[in-house]
Amino acid sequence: MHAVVAIKQVPDTSNVRIDPETGTLIREGVPAIVNPYDLHAVEAAVQLKERVGGGQVTVITMGPPKAAEALIECIEQGADRAILISDRKFGGADTLATSYVLARAIETINAELPVDIILFGKQAIDGDTAQVGPGVATRLNIPLITYAIAIEEFDLEARTAIVHRRVEQGIEVLQTSLPVLLTVEKEIAPVRHAPLPRLIAAARYQPEVWSATAPVVFDPQQIGLKGSPTVVGKAFTPEQRSGGEVISVADLGLNAVVARALAVIEQAHVRNLQPETGVVS
Amino acid sequence: MNAEQPVVPRIWVFVEQQERQVHPVSWELLGAAKRLSADLPGSVVEAVLPGHQIADLAPQAFHYGASRVYVIDSPVLEIYRNLPYAVAVSQLVMQYRPEIFLIGATTLGRDLAGSIATRVGTGLTADCTELAIDPAQHILAATRPTFGGNLMATILCRRHRPQMATVRPRVLPMPDPMPDATGEVINVPFDMREEDVPVKRLRLIRAEEQPNIEYADVLVAGGRGVGGPEGFALLEELANALGGMVAASRPVVDAGWMDASRQVGQTGKTVRPKLYIAAGISGAVQHRVGMSGADVILAINTDPNAPIFQIATLGIVGDLYDVIPALIRQVKGQAQDGHAHL
Amino acid sequence: MGMLTFDAIVVGAGPAGVAAALTMARGGLKVIIIERGRFAGAKNLFGGVFYTHALADVLPDYWERKPPFERPVTEQGYWMLSPDSVIRVMHKSERYRKEPADAYTVLRARFDPWFAEQAVEAGALLITRTTVTRLLKDERGRVIGVDTDRPEGSVYAPVVIIAEGVNNLLTRQAGLIASDLPPTHVALAVKEYVNLPAKELQARFGLSGPREGVAIDVFGDVTLGLPGTGFIYTNQSGISIGVGMLLSEFITHRLRPYEVLERFKNHPVVRPYLEGGEVREYGAHLIPETGYDRMPKLAGDGVMVAGDAAGMVDALHREGTNLAITAGKAAGETALAAHQQGDFSAAFLSRYRRTLEDSFVLKDMKQYRRMTDFLESSPHFMGTYVNLLNEAALRYFTAHGIPKREMEHDIIKMVRERRSFTGVAWDMLKLMRAMRG
Ligand SMILES: Cc1cc2nc3c(=O)[nH]c(=O)nc-3n(C[C@H](O)[C@H](O)[C@H](O)COP(=O)(O)OP(=O)(O)OC[C@H]3O[C@@H](n4cnc5c(N)ncnc54)[C@H](O)[C@@H]3O)c2cc1C
Ligand SMILES: Cc1cc2nc3c(=O)[nH]c(=O)nc-3n(C[C@H](O)[C@H](O)[C@H](O)COP(=O)(O)OP(=O)(O)OC[C@H]3O[C@@H](n4cnc5c(N)ncnc54)[C@H](O)[C@@H]3O)c2cc1C
Ligand SMILES: Nc1ncnc2c1ncn2[C@@H]1O[C@H](COP(=O)(O)O)[C@@H](O)[C@H]1O
Repeated sequence: MHAVVAIKQVPDTSNVRIDPETGTLIREGVPAIVNPYDLHAVEAAVQLKERVGGGQVTVITMGPPKAAEALIECIEQGADRAILISDRKFGGADTLATSYVLARAIETINAELPVDIILFGKQAIDGDTAQVGPGVATRLNIPLITYAIAIEEFDLEARTAIVHRRVEQGIEVLQTSLPVLLTVEKEIAPVRHAPLPRLIAAARYQPEVWSATAPVVFDPQQIGLKGSPTVVGKAFTPEQRSGGEVISVADLGLNAVVARALAVIEQAHVRNLQPETGVVS
Repeated sequence: MNAEQPVVPRIWVFVEQQERQVHPVSWELLGAAKRLSADLPGSVVEAVLPGHQIADLAPQAFHYGASRVYVIDSPVLEIYRNLPYAVAVSQLVMQYRPEIFLIGATTLGRDLAGSIATRVGTGLTADCTELAIDPAQHILAATRPTFGGNLMATILCRRHRPQMATVRPRVLPMPDPMPDATGEVINVPFDMREEDVPVKRLRLIRAEEQPNIEYADVLVAGGRGVGGPEGFALLEELANALGGMVAASRPVVDAGWMDASRQVGQTGKTVRPKLYIAAGISGAVQHRVGMSGADVILAINTDPNAPIFQIATLGIVGDLYDVIPALIRQVKGQAQDGHAHL
Repeated sequence: MGMLTFDAIVVGAGPAGVAAALTMARGGLKVIIIERGRFAGAKNLFGGVFYTHALADVLPDYWERKPPFERPVTEQGYWMLSPDSVIRVMHKSERYRKEPADAYTVLRARFDPWFAEQAVEAGALLITRTTVTRLLKDERGRVIGVDTDRPEGSVYAPVVIIAEGVNNLLTRQAGLIASDLPPTHVALAVKEYVNLPAKELQARFGLSGPREGVAIDVFGDVTLGLPGTGFIYTNQSGISIGVGMLLSEFITHRLRPYEVLERFKNHPVVRPYLEGGEVREYGAHLIPETGYDRMPKLAGDGVMVAGDAAGMVDALHREGTNLAITAGKAAGETALAAHQQGDFSAAFLSRYRRTLEDSFVLKDMKQYRRMTDFLESSPHFMGTYVNLLNEAALRYFTAHGIPKREMEHDIIKMVRERRSFTGVAWDMLKLMRAMRG
């Protein structure tokens, strides 16, 4: 079994701050982490390998040299091989260009050792686009199952899998041919605490580094800024809706405050006030 | 081969239906498309409606502003699957070359949009909160939050067409339907066979009907300040009296006091009710992005410096356990007397 | 994989642990450093003044390795705050201007990873996100390794250096210290990092450029007159501001650490310096005020302890990192010698203590051995005297038209009203004893 997992290093957005003067992101001191969903994807791949009794898990990322840290964390979690696709020429890629690079890389990996399953996170928490996975599946022309929460069956001989997928109405149980590309929710597999020997092995691991020209020659028209149809016109801190008055129970007393609240409720034109309980509109 | 005059800038909206129920976000997008069309000279608003035996839904799209509906009817489109939908819609896009293509950022829409954009080789901006036409360049300016809602970015797609964007439900207002409006239906042939679809749905495990706070007119939302699950009974009482539903902030959901389907915010739902009552919610940016579109916000918080007050129509500094019971009495009293001036 | 075996294990990648690992790795030992944080320094917080002399000892070429220092300290001194006034005693000198300077302000989240990287370059293996949960001992009670919170997480080595910082769980488990530090022997410090553009910061503190910085220790009203200190240090483009007091004081007076810091930040003298700054970081950390007499045993069979874990802090001069580095180095050298001799017994490792007795680490500790006791027994010291000094200054500077003799008389009377004359004399005597050691 050969699984490829695409992972991304992201700033821990729970720590992100914006410089109020310049409106730019302060990356300073913001820890970089493996996109949380991607760690679950790695775990799912490792578990699948254990389930079918062997195989290889290859992790890939396109990013700056620092992203090697994120790959090493995946090695700790049980991945066997890690590839960092890194080149200044990839800079400024949007999802279309990113999916091109990842798809080409996966094709190359597949030529060396055929790939049975490709796993992506549901979305990257820095951009929240959830587009790269669908883009790669489309480019590779293989089935796509997004929001996967479980792999019920994985049959390498019949070359089929049964995958559960979360949708608005409930859970879809889908059968697919292999290879398939999944984008995964956290439920797909809880991330385990990696054993110490793996951490020690990973600390010495050096990911392979691929550039824009070796070992794969990427089409310069399709990578980086050039290959990206979208550009950021401007970035700004969200404009806040401005607030109204703030009154206090301590100052005005409860009755006066409630009277004011009622006036505001009235202003909202909530007409369906009913004597008993209201019915949801 | 272009069947139409190539110069007409088309603004397309994907009409999402499942089991013949149209997702309301499609109508919100038609409303947005109408507004964009006003700023894009000569443009037309059109809808794309794939599915099986859904032609009778087309008139609804006219009511919300489409002048033409492309109906793609095929058995392989009966239930949503990525491949047949992506192929069918992409073919249509290649044929008519719309200028702008809007899709709801639902589970289905997000699955589909990336595939279409890749197939036609264009740019896609996800989860937009604002759409406009850049007056100088006559292109779509799609604004979206990034980095946990801390930053907004306006994304442009200068040279590739269509300019695609997905928009979350309830971010844009629901337009009023025009029941007399009609338009043209184009039936689009689609000949994919079931054998060519690699993914089959074996079954659907239906979730219990989840409360849908996104479309409630009144939401009474509680935060960590409510103190525990019991307090939500009080909020429920007020919500009932106002004909609304109870919503919650994330810590409340994390603590298990409320179901995740009630969560408002960046990782929860976006809501835009007529009235949003925030009780014991501090108003962190991740919460505000989900509710700042409400018409009227009433906030109750013991802390005069709570950030929620910065956006509240009326802020009340006080204990929710004093204010809400008093409010319930008043609301119920008025409703009962019938002399309510509400 | 078989047993994980190393020549030495270091617990904690703070200054003490990294200095030990660096020393041993350069000496050719196979060393593993185990750190529980996401990266070295992830959980570490201190006031901000780092003294370079100890670093130069372990890493003579540190300056070429571009340590992430914030600003050299070119001006330092004290502020004595009363509720509405301040007396400032600041020292600035051209002689502070040579670089590398004696002292730099530092942010641990930047400094610690750099320092750890030096040990890694020297060959040490750094494992992060892993907590040492207990020491492994043989049947004779000798330490032979550690257990971690990871699956298959035991590591073995003939010598373990505990550099776990102030929460001395392992030190206790090693039997080197009898009990946890009581609240009277540990201070709690809270600190914020307030961001300000470098230009603005320089203007406010009268600094001519990025190669100048101030370190201010603050007494008096900052801690509501209770024993303890506050501090204000300038970084590259921000201010480190914090307050530390004995944990027992927070408890007895029911003070919330954060509120004490807020109060300090809002002091009329302090506020203008922070105006418009954005709080980027907030944290709390303990400081051992163990004192020389209560220090743990520094070595046992197969184990040594260094840095905060051993109570090696000179609270009076806000020094800790330099003691930790010097101690880490001494422990590392002792481990090297132990490997040479093949002797890891407590008797052999006790050389480590002797080395420290000869260095400033234990000499300083000894000198200020009574300082904590003094503060504990004379809590009024900080508050009363600092307020008095401020009021005296006010009289002195505003007593226009009053005969000077009368003014002096007033001031003395004021002092006597607050504290009996014998009380004052007694306090002074005690303070002198505490400082002399
Ligand atoms: C990546 C990310 C995504 C997130 N997504 C979401 C999201 O989708 N939705 C969301 O809500 N949060 C989200 N959060 C969390 C968010 O940052 C805040 O932590 C959260 O919104 C705070 O919830 P709260 O206001 O209920 O609690 P708190 O911030 O603890 O506020 C409680 C408030 O109650 C007040 N209070 C206490 N007692 C009373 C009383 N008796 N009467 C009146 N007032 C009282 C207090 O003064 C306080 O202001 C996200 C965070 C991150 C990092
Ligand atoms: C507010 C404050 C202000 C200070 N100001 C100054 C100053 O201005 N100048 C100065 O020189 N000193 C100052 N100090 C003192 C100085 O910070 C310490 O003395 C110094 O950090 C001690 O270094 P250490 O290596 O012993 O411990 P630490 O720096 O605390 O490092 C211990 C490390 O061990 C890790 N660890 C702990 N337990 C485990 C475990 N079980 N498993 C794995 N890892 C573990 C921790 O995560 C940590 O990284 C200050 C301290 C404080 C709190
Ligand atoms: N630069 C990248 N390198 C590798 N994988 C990526 C990259 N960007 C995104 N991904 C993958 O695509 C998923 C969705 O990302 P996004 O479309 O950016 O939300 C992530 O969870 C990753 O699995």
